[in-house]
Amino acid sequence: MICWSCEKEGGKGPFCAACKAILPPDTGPLGAGPGPQGSAPGTDRFAVLGLPRKFEVDLAAAEAAYKDLSRQLHPDRFAKADPRARKAALARTVEINDAWRTVKDPVRRAEYLLELAGYALGGGEKSAEMSKTRKVSAPPTFLVEILELRDELAAAQKAGDAVKVAFMTEDVRGRAAEAMKTIGTSIDGATPESFDVAARALMSLRYYQRFLDEVSAHEERALSGGDRG
Amino acid sequence: MAEAFLQISEPGASPTKRACQTRAIGIDLGTTNSLVAIVDGGRPVCLRDDRDQAILPSVVHYAADGTIVVGAEAHDRLAVEFPRSTIASVKRFMGRGPGDAEATRKLTPYQFAPPAGDGGNVVRFDVGAGRAVTPMEVSAEILKALKARAEAELGAPLDGAVITVPAYFDDGQRQATRDAGRLAGLEVLRLINEPTAAAIAYGLDKQAEGTFAVFDLGGGTFDISILKLEDGVFEVKATGGDSALGGDDFDRAIAGALLEKWNLTDVAAGDARLVRRVLDAARAIKEKLTVEAAATIEIVLPDGNRTAQLTRTEMELLIEPVLMRCTAPVRRALKDAAIDLARNPQAGSEPPAMGSVERSPPAPDANSAALSGVILVGGATRMPLVRQFVEKLFGRPPLGDIDPDEVVALGAAVQADVLAGGTGQGDMLLLDVVPLSLGLETMGGVVEKIIHRNTTVPCGATQTFTTFADKQTGFDLKVVQGERELADQCRSLAQFTLKGIPPMAAGMARLEVTFMVDADGILRVSAREETTGQEAKIEVKPSYGLTDEEVERMLLDSFAHAEEDVQIRLLTEQQVEADRIAAAARTAMADSPELLTPEDRTAIDAALTALATARGGKDHHAIRAAVEALDQASKEFAARRMNVAFDRGLRGKDVAAVEAKADETAPKRDLASRAGGHSGHSH
Repeated sequence: MICWSCEKEGGKGPFCAACKAILPPDTGPLGAGPGPQGSAPGTDRFAVLGLPRKFEVDLAAAEAAYKDLSRQLHPDRFAKADPRARKAALARTVEINDAWRTVKDPVRRAEYLLELAGYALGGGEKSAEMSKTRKVSAPPTFLVEILELRDELAAAQKAGDAVKVAFMTEDVRGRAAEAMKTIGTSIDGATPESFDVAARALMSLRYYQRFLDEVSAHEERALSGGDRG
Repeated sequence: MAEAFLQISEPGASPTKRACQTRAIGIDLGTTNSLVAIVDGGRPVCLRDDRDQAILPSVVHYAADGTIVVGAEAHDRLAVEFPRSTIASVKRFMGRGPGDAEATRKLTPYQFAPPAGDGGNVVRFDVGAGRAVTPMEVSAEILKALKARAEAELGAPLDGAVITVPAYFDDGQRQATRDAGRLAGLEVLRLINEPTAAAIAYGLDKQAEGTFAVFDLGGGTFDISILKLEDGVFEVKATGGDSALGGDDFDRAIAGALLEKWNLTDVAAGDARLVRRVLDAARAIKEKLTVEAAATIEIVLPDGNRTAQLTRTEMELLIEPVLMRCTAPVRRALKDAAIDLARNPQAGSEPPAMGSVERSPPAPDANSAALSGVILVGGATRMPLVRQFVEKLFGRPPLGDIDPDEVVALGAAVQADVLAGGTGQGDMLLLDVVPLSLGLETMGGVVEKIIHRNTTVPCGATQTFTTFADKQTGFDLKVVQGERELADQCRSLAQFTLKGIPPMAAGMARLEVTFMVDADGILRVSAREETTGQEAKIEVKPSYGLTDEEVERMLLDSFAHAEEDVQIRLLTEQQVEADRIAAAARTAMADSPELLTPEDRTAIDAALTALATARGGKDHHAIRAAVEALDQASKEFAARRMNVAFDRGLRGKDVAAVEAKADETAPKRDLASRAGGHSGHSH
């Protein structure tokens, strides 16, 4: 990238190789926020934080890298700088914030890895769907099971059976943990088969998540009703 | 120039009474009170007025003759006498529309102007004499008063300001605050969230590390933020609140009960003065009951005096329903931040105030943390009931060693100093979040969330939408903020239209919409049609705010008063200069009496007296002349002092070291410039 400040070739890093001025990233809106399809090779969200493209992550090290980059690139560091430097800092920070948000959360991390592997997962970035070729679908038996669980939950909630709701929540949390474990053990296999296993586990995890969201939403409605607990 | 005194003060000592690296200020623009702070000698301090008050009541009076009075006088005297033209609690109206029930339908003494042609989507107060003002203009008057206080203290133009906003302020309310800053002639370096500012001040002062909750109950807004403090990074994990809940609502609850008791509820609906008096009485009772168990207050009403008598228990029954509204936001924030109160090591054996479901085994990705402390901010947190409520909610007593009034302004000053390039705080970094989800209304009025609440700012996201009708050539997009599923239950932020899309079959045109939230928490939206690559023009109109043109026009209007303002400014500047020079002269006389001849002393004393007289007047020319007279009278004394200082400076140097470096150009240049500096200032 040609540096806005010294007009020399500044390289790909956040700072110009020649004059150390902050440079914007070269992809994404405002030159920021690379999506899987829009990003240049090697500049994925893992790379932004200097991490290998893997599910298994040393979160403490990743967080340290994120904070270190934030210290260097945050718009606060450029509040009085040239408008072009401010814009570059904004775009860079949007990029690292987005990267850290994806990497720190295991579900988002798995989704992103599968998207990079070409899976259409829906729910994520809609623009990605067209270019995706691989799809996994839920077996009908699984869907029926989920529907029954949801019905059971709704009935328990309606009856005000807190013990039953708690019991079911615990059960579904256990299943979700199991699915997460499956994702963790299969996704870094990086073969079509292992990706398929991970994608299916992720899909079931989403259904469990929706179940748990429904539990929280119900609790929240009770909270907003003024119940002091 | 009398600057000579200043040039020879000891190295490292500041010529003014302030040791500030930057001239950046932090402003807490509060519902009830506002404050301004600076960083002085590495520590933030609130600036005080000539009555030694840090607090400036956020009250603005518009007099019939066009003058504007801000602060204690407007609050103490004018609000009662002129309830309609004296605006208090203007913050509640920031970023709100005229039809906004939250702002305009509550018990209020104000009259609202009918919507005008442009700017018709903003609340306007009718302050009499055919004048209507927006909340941004009213807030700008408060900011101007604080700016003047800071300029007088620092004796120079400012480097910029950080203004605090409630964390739960939505985009429109933030835009309105930024506009108020512009109208006041401030360079707004950043808007930061009040609880975050409080955490900065607390964290730096106590060298605290860990995860803290900031419970901020101010005059008109309630915020709860959960922050992680670690290695100078202040990271907001979650935030929540209610931007229309505060001590004002306690006053209203008490006032409502009093009016009801006296059968005056209907009368009050049309009597602004009565409303103002009863609200003031309610506030006085509330403040009294913060320290006492019972209170009696006499209220002068048109139909005779009334006595309001209330015990603390009675008052607490009235305000408890209002206070309870804090519960849900607190629990939501704790949950979003994955705080497990049960893991709280300091908590007693008593189970925390959480449902049993909350304590069931953690979710697979739960990475829950314990809470290190609860920080209280805002005047309302002085009330015993609020403290008890917080203790019960968090299962631990709140931290007690913080001034809940000053802490926000102090934190804002620290951040202002960092932004302006001050290095006192080392690597301090603030990572804040979006308080409310941002999205677009899609078919059927359903909200498609694009940026979720508690996402770290700055952030951006892109979402693609398609056409739903054949040959559709435009998109009407409505930007909304809030957690609800339906658009009409969320706050509408802006509408925009993208035109010029070539006619295609339904679903073929692909609209890529990009949301960007900057470090102030302010949103920018852009959109383009993908398949044609056509960048269609977008107009973003804030739903409840001022357009850039409106801000420009208001600034131009304010230039109508510019001549008057310039006179005041010149006077203030000369007064500041006079104080600075007089202080420098006195210090020099005290420091070097041996260099002072009796004639010098008489002449300088006389000049100082003349300067003090001129300083008390309104003529900036006279002050300038008196400064020059002092300069003339002290000329020889200053020259003697300088020579001595210069000699001492040379003698102090290690001769060998000076010789060793004699061949290098840099020290020579350094010396030469220093000598030049001296001669330049010695007439």
